[in-house]
Amino acid sequence: MSSNDSNKICRTPVTELTRSSFLHHRIMADPAHFAFRKMILDEITPVVMVLPTPLVEQGCQKNGLSFVQMLTPFCVFNNIDVPVRTASDQPYRLQKFKLRMFYGSDIRQPNIEVTKERLEKVIADAGKGEDSDLYLDPSPIETMATSSEPEFVPAWFQYFNKELVRSVSFSDHEAFDHPVACLLVVSSSDEDPINKFVDLFNTNQLPPLLSDGAMDPKIPKYFILVHDNQTGSLERATKILAEMRNTFGSNDCRLLCINSSQDQLIDREPNPWDPYGSNASSGQNLGCLLNHEDVDELKDFVRNLSSKDIIPNMEQRIRVLNQQVSATRKGFRNQIKNLWWRKGKEDTPEVQSVNMYTFNSIESQIRVLGDYAFMLRDYELASSNYRLLSTDYKLDKAWKRYAGVQEMMGLTYFMLNQSKKDAEYCMENAFSTYLRIGTSGKGNATRCGLWWVEMLKTSGQYKDAASVYFRIPGDEPLHSAVMLEQASYCYLLAKPPMLRKYGFHLILSGDLYKKCDQIKHAIRAYRNALSVFKGTTWSHIHDHVHFQIGKWYAFLGRFDVAMKHMLEILSCSHQSKTMQELYMRDFFQILQKTGKTYSISRLQLPIVNISSLSVVSEDHRTYGSLAAASVKESVWQSLEEEMVPSLSNAKTTWLDLQSKLLPNKLKQSNICVAGEALKVEISFRNPLQLSIPISNVTLMCEYSANEALPDANSSSEIQGDEDGKIATGSESSSDTSLFTSSEVDITLAGGETTVAQLSVIPRKEGLLRVTGVSWKLSDSMIGFYTFDADLIKKKISKQKRKAKQDANKLEFLVIKSLPRLEGVIHNLPETVYAGNLHRLSLELRNSSEISVKNLKMKISHPRFLNIGNPEALDVNFPSCLEKKESCAHKDADLDATKLSETVFHFPKDTIIHKETPFFLPLWFRAATPGNMSLYLTIYYEIDDKSTAMRFRTLRTHHMLEVLPSLDVSFFISPCSSRLQEYVVRMDVINRTSLRNFKLHQLSSVGNEWQISLIESIEHIFPSGNLEPGQALSCFLKLRNVKTTETEMDVWLGSGSSEAILDTKRAPLVNFHHYERLHQKTSHQENQSTVDFMLISRMEETETVPSDVPTPPQIFSHHACHCSVSTKRPIWWLLDGPRVNHCNFSNSFCETKLKMTIHNSSCFVVSVRINTFDSPPGGSPSGNKVGWHDMSTPPSDDTKKLVSLESVPPFIWSGSSTTRVKLEPNSATEISLLVTTFAPGTYDLSNYTLNWNILDSNSSREKEGVCYGRPFYLTILREE
Amino acid sequence: MTSTACFMIVSRNDIPIYEAEVGTAPKKEEAAHQHQFILHAALDVVQDLAWTTSAMFLKSVDRFNDLVVSVYVTAVSHTRLMLLHDSRNDDGIKSFFQEVHELYIKILLNPLYLPGSRVTSSHFDTKVRGLARRYL
Repeated sequence: MSSNDSNKICRTPVTELTRSSFLHHRIMADPAHFAFRKMILDEITPVVMVLPTPLVEQGCQKNGLSFVQMLTPFCVFNNIDVPVRTASDQPYRLQKFKLRMFYGSDIRQPNIEVTKERLEKVIADAGKGEDSDLYLDPSPIETMATSSEPEFVPAWFQYFNKELVRSVSFSDHEAFDHPVACLLVVSSSDEDPINKFVDLFNTNQLPPLLSDGAMDPKIPKYFILVHDNQTGSLERATKILAEMRNTFGSNDCRLLCINSSQDQLIDREPNPWDPYGSNASSGQNLGCLLNHEDVDELKDFVRNLSSKDIIPNMEQRIRVLNQQVSATRKGFRNQIKNLWWRKGKEDTPEVQSVNMYTFNSIESQIRVLGDYAFMLRDYELASSNYRLLSTDYKLDKAWKRYAGVQEMMGLTYFMLNQSKKDAEYCMENAFSTYLRIGTSGKGNATRCGLWWVEMLKTSGQYKDAASVYFRIPGDEPLHSAVMLEQASYCYLLAKPPMLRKYGFHLILSGDLYKKCDQIKHAIRAYRNALSVFKGTTWSHIHDHVHFQIGKWYAFLGRFDVAMKHMLEILSCSHQSKTMQELYMRDFFQILQKTGKTYSISRLQLPIVNISSLSVVSEDHRTYGSLAAASVKESVWQSLEEEMVPSLSNAKTTWLDLQSKLLPNKLKQSNICVAGEALKVEISFRNPLQLSIPISNVTLMCEYSANEALPDANSSSEIQGDEDGKIATGSESSSDTSLFTSSEVDITLAGGETTVAQLSVIPRKEGLLRVTGVSWKLSDSMIGFYTFDADLIKKKISKQKRKAKQDANKLEFLVIKSLPRLEGVIHNLPETVYAGNLHRLSLELRNSSEISVKNLKMKISHPRFLNIGNPEALDVNFPSCLEKKESCAHKDADLDATKLSETVFHFPKDTIIHKETPFFLPLWFRAATPGNMSLYLTIYYEIDDKSTAMRFRTLRTHHMLEVLPSLDVSFFISPCSSRLQEYVVRMDVINRTSLRNFKLHQLSSVGNEWQISLIESIEHIFPSGNLEPGQALSCFLKLRNVKTTETEMDVWLGSGSSEAILDTKRAPLVNFHHYERLHQKTSHQENQSTVDFMLISRMEETETVPSDVPTPPQIFSHHACHCSVSTKRPIWWLLDGPRVNHCNFSNSFCETKLKMTIHNSSCFVVSVRINTFDSPPGGSPSGNKVGWHDMSTPPSDDTKKLVSLESVPPFIWSGSSTTRVKLEPNSATEISLLVTTFAPGTYDLSNYTLNWNILDSNSSREKEGVCYGRPFYLTILREE
Repeated sequence: MTSTACFMIVSRNDIPIYEAEVGTAPKKEEAAHQHQFILHAALDVVQDLAWTTSAMFLKSVDRFNDLVVSVYVTAVSHTRLMLLHDSRNDDGIKSFFQEVHELYIKILLNPLYLPGSRVTSSHFDTKVRGLARRYL
């Protein structure tokens, strides 16, 4: 090879055999490729065994170095330039070369325990170094993926891998760890150095590899005399050297002088020993006693050793071995022989002795040949020998050796750069074979795996590399953890990056680290994984990662960081209850240990339901209760329509006043009054299945003094502003008392949603803004939720009723304190039976100094609630209802309520001052069963003109449940025997399930109708108690009278002890009025209706304690507009003698009858009376023409016949048709004559009255027929 | 014999919209997140594999220890039905996926369902569990 060529080779990282591979290699020389190549070249190099005497070591230790350490820096040659010839005499030059020096005692399989400890130390040391950046946020994944490998892959991985690879060195199944030479080192101060040399290579102390026959103990030996210049003179050393040369041959003996620097310590920069320095001597200046001559001598020694002795020796060995192998194995004949020979061995048991292949077996020789060739870079030769060997071992089923050869084959293929596929196949084969042989192969499998991974990495097959890492066996979870972490980085480096795999493997590795108590490593792994899982929607992953990291940080005492992660898992609603309990317990533990107070925006525990936010502010509208505030504004507006100054009026009246006080731009904002609570309702939802207590739920508010005020009215409103200026002055001084917020504690059961009612009371005028809500999850965990203006806006657009409030709904203009009425209705029952009558009292209080006046009130349901006379406060209920003689003012009372209709004006002089409550009696009657909402609104004006508001309203809302009590119905039918009289059937049913009723009285309301019982009440209803479910019917007589003093009341009670109640007095009459209004239907005539009022009492139950005098429960039931009218407008009555005595002297008997006809309609009616001679029942169908009812069955005819026979005939005499005309409400009499021919009883019903309404335009029936009613006339023969 | 089966529907952007443990093995606390991790990691493989074949059913795309991930890639908005299982009943799994896909399409046809949002229908849930009992 020319020098020019060799120069080129120098520039390439490795030296090649052939030009073609060299060219190929230049193309492939990317850094990753280079790295693995370098690694292989570092690992698989000749080993030199060193056997020193203790004195040699002593001398070297003066420099802080062992003998091997002292030599190590000079064992690496980058440009040794040794000419070598291959087995087939092809010359090439070795440029790079490395020797590995080991003490003889170290040339053995490393102790497993020691290795394990060392590896653990490596990891632990690496963990310690992590401290600095462990608490920083993980860098975003994007930058990681693009940055090159070394930046984020921890550097100690390389070191760890190297240690792992070295843990399986000096195995007997491979030859590249076998020493190629031996250095026997004796100090010049040793006594009898020649014998020392002989003793050193004592077979008893030789490493097992040599002693047990795995390798040839006849290795080249070199005899080195080390002379310490500090201990003796050089003469003695040269003398010994001469002696040595005589004994051992001149070529193999050397003299090394050390510690020549006598006085000054030599400082080197850079110190060549630093990277190799022993662990303990970091502070010491390594090699301080070695001067330049010494170092050069060392360098030359190793260089000469390599180039002049070791490499030529190896070359020579290769030649010899190659010839042997060729002789025994190459050629067709040998192959057949070999095959046959091995076939014969097949029967031997598989468990072969380890030493089956001694150093002189042909297999071992091939292996040595291959390894030597590999170490001298003759890869072609190595590869062919490995191939040869692998079939042999395979046939022998020597799996470990087979795997070892396969491994080397893979490496050779890689180094040859020929077939990537073959290389990978060999590596995989080796890997799986190592795995198959069990525990003894695990270490080798790991090494093989690591090499395979590196090989895959060079060709960019990161995905495959990761799966190999995953397959690398991990007896030690710690090793597995490291492997998994490396695997994860491979996924990250894969193209395209497999981030999810990366994350997953980091988590797996983190878990293993944790298992081995390597918390810091675990955290690093998880933290890196977090960059993948941050913000993931995979809930269990999210919770797991944050929970573990949080816990580990807490373990390390970094509670602040731990909290950051623990906060992420608070809303773990998807987890099972046990997990939630675990999470919460750890969360609170860590929180407690943190000792800090956190306030977290939008804390997820509990969840604030922002759409539930409702704000009740009271401006001129004040509310009696929160329930009242939640009622729709339109309800109130319709209620207050008549009472409150109308909208347009209001604008001109009080806004004029207001505009003086308020700047224009604030007109839009909400107003609230200083000293009055601003109520906010917001619901909290507990996402967990556990119950969580939260305390101190309070509103967050901002207060600002009204700065806009002076600007807006700078010019015009100076005189009125003195108040405001003083106010602003004081505001700035006392910030604490600007507003007070209420604090609420609530406990949320699992999954519960609770509405918290919060309030804030502004104390000063200005601008108050509700910014959010805050709560305490525990003493040191404060959550808060800022109300976002956008959210509120959205909500308003959805909800129309709040639409008029502006976007800044949470901003309030606080105005000066105003009087505010508070009203309470005493005694209002929550559940009541229908018809029950109560007296209530309304209490109004004014806590302000300023009095209020001009009160008005309106009630939504006057049917239920009625305003009593203020004087009625003191009277005794229910005795006040009793009928008294003095009924002077009752009409006036009635008028008053009726005239005012809906709005009740309080007496003119009513002024409510501070501390003097005002009472007003109210009457309550539960009108109809069902749930009832009563709205009450009270309007009042403020007796102070300077305030911003002139009037306010108090709105109260009351909910009642009304249960059914009695059902009363009336059925009225005309009495057939009397004119203007009716029979009334009253049906009463007790609808309650428990209570008894006592009927008290039935009254007809008004003056027109007189009622009386047909039978005495004792007779029909002896018990007097209406049991639950019992029904009662009783018949009453009703008579229309025009006089004023009539019996309108019927006593229905059992005894007569109690007084009859006066139905004409308030409140009964008032309630009746509203009942009438309510029950009114569209076409009712006033004339022909009657109103009834049934008054009853409820039996007191036994459960009520007897010492409390309960007032009797009075019930009133009203039935209005009970129609008495029938369809026909006429009444008639046939009157005459019932019994007539006749002697039949003139063979017939005439009886005179009188018919009275009354027209009760308001029209003129013409009536025609037709009499028939046919018997009653068979009356013809009158004057009806056209279609008529034919449905009468034919059997009627027979009946008719029978009656014809049984009843003796009679005839109507006189005119058979009479027609009369009747004026409205008038009566007339018509005489009728009936003639009988025999004694007997006659039914005189065979007549009809045909009536016809004249001059009526209404749509009602104009004409009709009335059939005669039975009238029995008995004719007796007079004797 | 108890079997593990974790079924999941993953919508676009890898957001899980439905998940159900349909195996007969007793539920373990740590299994929940482990299954999610495995399925999540398998998405990487699915992502590559989905474009290499026209078949919707990708069997055994990924595995972790003895747990196998089978995936059914739908044509609708890149939704993936994923099943983590330890049984080797490919035909059953395929039928299961096809039927669940049909159910999912019915869910999609619901005008009130926003594609890509969580499937909360209890009817769907009971149906899926029923199918799992039948096929897996």
